[in-house]
Amino acid sequence: MKKFDIIIIAVIAAVAAVLYASGIFSPKDEGTTAVVYIDKEEYARLPLDEDNSITVETDEGYNVIEVKDGYADCTDADCRDGLCVDQKKISRKDETIICLPHKVIIEIE
Amino acid sequence: MSRKVAFYGIFAALAVLMGYVEAMVPSPVPIPGVKLGLANVIVLIALYFMGTGAAIGVNVIRVIISALLFNGFSGFLFSIAGAALSMLVMYLAKKVRSSSVIGVSVLGGVAHNIGQIAVAAVVLQTPGLMYYLPTLLISGIVTGIVIGIVAKYCLSHIEKSGLKY
Repeated sequence: MKKFDIIIIAVIAAVAAVLYASGIFSPKDEGTTAVVYIDKEEYARLPLDEDNSITVETDEGYNVIEVKDGYADCTDADCRDGLCVDQKKISRKDETIICLPHKVIIEIE
Repeated sequence: MSRKVAFYGIFAALAVLMGYVEAMVPSPVPIPGVKLGLANVIVLIALYFMGTGAAIGVNVIRVIISALLFNGFSGFLFSIAGAALSMLVMYLAKKVRSSSVIGVSVLGGVAHNIGQIAVAAVVLQTPGLMYYLPTLLISGIVTGIVIGIVAKYCLSHIEKSGLKY
């Protein structure tokens, strides 16, 4: 590793740290509603204060979306990577869970 | 000429294959966009062994073939944005005299992540995606170092073998 490499790594790490600490790119307020979009079209609105569970069926497959204890989560899906199921449950404004293969987005408002 | 074509073919095939191998292995981190970027090993080797033009060629062929085989059109948009930005940044970084494969690889990885997330935020109309940016910067550094080290060892073996482009 040469000097340039070390400087580059340090600078990028510092930028990431500043972004993280400054919180411009972090969600803040608690949200009230989980909105489910399929291919950018609004599909369902789930209030976060009542427990609920829906299954979203698209041509690509299904996603099970659950609201529990104020959090929205994708608990089951048949997409090829399963990343949506692995993503953390969400409750703050603008947080998202995204299933790219099914074009399903859950966003908190 | 035919020698050139053969090299392009081998490198493009390897790059596509690397992307495929990577898709087979589940990602350890459940964040869309965080992945090792194995294909970048091949692009880096092409960049240093064959030159910038060849690296761009190999990368473009890789993105098009992967889109046709696995990803579809939206996948193509994400990859081409990431690939274009990362290619440009790696080309500039390579020109800096005190840079090595590892630094170039880190910059390439980070630029790739930024390009992808920017396109994803626009295409999916979800500015909230930018929340992943700090995470993606850090993951770009880590994977960039790993990929850079792998590419460095491959390049030194190629050099030892006396293979010429």
